[in-house]
Amino acid sequence: MGGGVRSGKWFVAAPMALLALATIYPLVFTTNVAMKTRHEYILNRFSVTESLRWDNIDAAWNSVGMARYFVNSIIVVGCSVAVLLLLGSMAGFALGQLRFKGSRALFLGCLAALFIPFQVIMVPLARTMADTGLLDTYPGLILTYVAQFLPFTIFLMTSYYAGIPADIIDAARIDGNTLYGVYRRIMLPIGRPALLSVGILNALFCWNDVLIALLLMPSAEHRTLMVGVTALRGQYSDDIPTFAAGVLIAALPVLMIYLFFQRQIADGVTAGSTKG
Amino acid sequence: MVGLADGTNTRTMDDRPGPARRPPARSRSRGWERWAPYVLVAPAVLIIVGLRLYPLLLGVNFSFTGDGDRNGQPVGLDNYAALFDDPLFQQALRNVGLLVLLLPVAVAIPGLLATFIYLRVPGHRFFRSVYFFPAVLSPVIVGAIFNLLLAFDGPLNSLLRSVGIAPVDWLGDPGVAIFAVVGVHIWATFGMALVVFLAGFATLDSALLDAARVDGAALHQVIRHVIIPGLSRTIQFVFVTTMIGMLTAMFGLLYVMTSGGPEGSTYLPEYYIWIQQGQMNRPALASAASTVLFLIMLVVGLVQISILRRSGRED
Repeated sequence: MGGGVRSGKWFVAAPMALLALATIYPLVFTTNVAMKTRHEYILNRFSVTESLRWDNIDAAWNSVGMARYFVNSIIVVGCSVAVLLLLGSMAGFALGQLRFKGSRALFLGCLAALFIPFQVIMVPLARTMADTGLLDTYPGLILTYVAQFLPFTIFLMTSYYAGIPADIIDAARIDGNTLYGVYRRIMLPIGRPALLSVGILNALFCWNDVLIALLLMPSAEHRTLMVGVTALRGQYSDDIPTFAAGVLIAALPVLMIYLFFQRQIADGVTAGSTKG
Repeated sequence: MVGLADGTNTRTMDDRPGPARRPPARSRSRGWERWAPYVLVAPAVLIIVGLRLYPLLLGVNFSFTGDGDRNGQPVGLDNYAALFDDPLFQQALRNVGLLVLLLPVAVAIPGLLATFIYLRVPGHRFFRSVYFFPAVLSPVIVGAIFNLLLAFDGPLNSLLRSVGIAPVDWLGDPGVAIFAVVGVHIWATFGMALVVFLAGFATLDSALLDAARVDGAALHQVIRHVIIPGLSRTIQFVFVTTMIGMLTAMFGLLYVMTSGGPEGSTYLPEYYIWIQQGQMNRPALASAASTVLFLIMLVVGLVQISILRRSGRED
């Protein structure tokens, strides 16, 4: 694999660069369209916009109601992630560090719950939510997101905490900490890298979800941003630039998170593949 | 030593469920402390049992009762009979078969790309972060973008026309639409599999690769004799997660891009469940479809768990 491959590398790099272009281009295209007028778009779909105009973004944000959906999404995602991190780290500490009767069975049960997709439980869940008055409410949606992503969160937090030497806990207990104190004063700070990674992944999962939000938040004023985008499609099928602007608004927070936390996302995604 | 720590020396080591060897904490919180592990896991367990395991049982039970006039009455296997008679569900199952056939492609693409990145093709760092980026986008966003790109009078077709190829009705032709949607799904998710492969490569023994290099092995020989055997666990993991993704993460794309059409050609079980529950008001039939989907997932999941456990032993 000496010299032959070295020159061959460029034969590989060229199609890979083309693929990279194909990966980036759809979003560049959408951004460009969002800056155009309808007239410009109809005349030429590819031409670079003549000026950076924010009219479409403004229209999508204000008159279409994306601002409202955006706030809804922030509330739901923020609360869901906070609860997930709290419950996930508590359970992860208990399952990863404290060997107690039934801990192994609980961990395996949690692993099993990972393999129940939402599609399988959505019918009875919607009915339960309706029966308990939680349908079309923030707590109902938040609780469902927590239930949906908790097994994954516990799985990662347990693997993380299991790798922490027991001496640290022993030392803290000698200093007079209860187990609750150990959790609050030692485990939460120590778990910060894992919590960051899991938190960002959960935020992405909740932010990007459409099925659960569509099922549990039927009324228009409760729409999350992703549900808002699906509604946008019907309303603005003849005004592509405004539609593209709405899509861009919904994608922007995720792109920012990706730019800043790429490594944490990759860590979280790969954790399951290398740990037992 | 215990006495020094908390000033009380009244306790002896007891049979607390917590790990032995650890010095006991303050005695005033003893009872509370004894149950600490259970208190810590209780909220999580309650939520998982109440909102994931219980609905699963409820749903299976529900699938043996009737819809509409026969609401709540036991109907035996009627829903399952109706399900397998429904051309739309048959189409959904055929599409699952198609996904299984396309699975090797969906695994091979990121695998090959990861190999090149691992072998430090020029620009590998750049490729790595660019390829991963669509994986963080919502299927709704991806679907909306490709709705624009794949429209009959859209950019892709005008590109094709300009090089003399007849335009294709990507989302309107029943024979093409499912391939278009799956193609977009692969476009959106191959970066996820790519980083998993790269994490696997990080555990690969580089001495083997160097040896192959010294022996002058060609790339395809290296892939066959070094990379595939060395990464077998990662490859299995990617197979399973990619399959789960295809079965459960395409709803957003289907909802936005085709709504199951044209002529029901892009139905998948998850979309069928949604339609029967939400639009057709036949929750019991939807539950039967859910149960079938769960059985499919169960097979995939059992394979997954056996891989996880095996990898746990090898570590």
